[in-house]
Amino acid sequence: MENVANHEDWKVCFSEYGPGLLLFARQWVRSSADAEDIVQEAFVKFWRRNHRIDNRALLYATVRSIALDLIRRDSRRARREAEAFSDVAQSSQPQFAVEDESQRALAAAVDLLPHEQREVLVMKIWNELTFAEIGSALEISQNTAASRYRYALSALKKNLQPQ
Amino acid sequence: MNDFSELENELKKLRPAQPSREFLGRVEQAMADLPDDAGNIIHPSRFKVSWLSLGLGLAAAAIFLIFARVSVDRPAKRTPIAQNSPAPATRSTIASPGFIPAGATQVVYNTRDEGLHFPTGYNEPMRRVRYQKRETLQWRNPNTGASLRVSYPSEEVVLIPVSGQ
Repeated sequence: MENVANHEDWKVCFSEYGPGLLLFARQWVRSSADAEDIVQEAFVKFWRRNHRIDNRALLYATVRSIALDLIRRDSRRARREAEAFSDVAQSSQPQFAVEDESQRALAAAVDLLPHEQREVLVMKIWNELTFAEIGSALEISQNTAASRYRYALSALKKNLQPQ
Repeated sequence: MNDFSELENELKKLRPAQPSREFLGRVEQAMADLPDDAGNIIHPSRFKVSWLSLGLGLAAAAIFLIFARVSVDRPAKRTPIAQNSPAPATRSTIASPGFIPAGATQVVYNTRDEGLHFPTGYNEPMRRVRYQKRETLQWRNPNTGASLRVSYPSEEVVLIPVSGQ
């Protein structure tokens, strides 16, 4: 079996998955610094354990697990959890590189989604995971993942319609 | 095409913020601190099958199957002389009323030839062979659809007459 790991391999993988992982991690923490810490720990842990990089469900599950651990072990646990899981939680720092007002409105609408819908949407749209992979990462069924995705799109569409 | 395709396209145009240089630097430092044996990820596009390993594996599996001699029927030609694990006396009627035998499997996972013996009462030498097995019995209740499965290890010693010709 060929050992192809080298200095450049992780960079290639990280450049491909890094932005999506950060976006995924930002769902649980308000600051980008916290999200970076989570992604760094998850990625290094994943790499150290020699998991296959195409096992994306496991990679995202690792990020999620570390994010939830961070929330739980933090001394401000209650406040963080309330922030992280609140349906009205809004990020204090931009998560997207917005180009115009319509994209800004879209990003804001994504931020307003219920947590369980937002995480499925993030995994599907910006990380291109299949529903099977999402289900595996979140420990839910494939159908539940698909349902949450549809609910998320439906909610977005409703929120973006002119009043 | 679903109702949300336009919205999905708009969402895909929204690009996640790129990691900062400082962050990439920290990850690079963390990766550099990894021990040398870490990071043996098999990149999917570069995965290569080792035909030698595959061949050896298949050969080992074939040998195992030959010796394991998986069978679903109880052997008829061997006469068990001694048996360390007593066979359940209620093999076919163990379960509650309504259950009927649905199958039995017997997997011999080890066979040991213990050489020639001269048992009392026999005029010819016998070869003693010890079989270690796992037996699984199944019952099914056709009315309720319930099933019952029992699996247990067993050991069987068989004396095989040796022809002097």
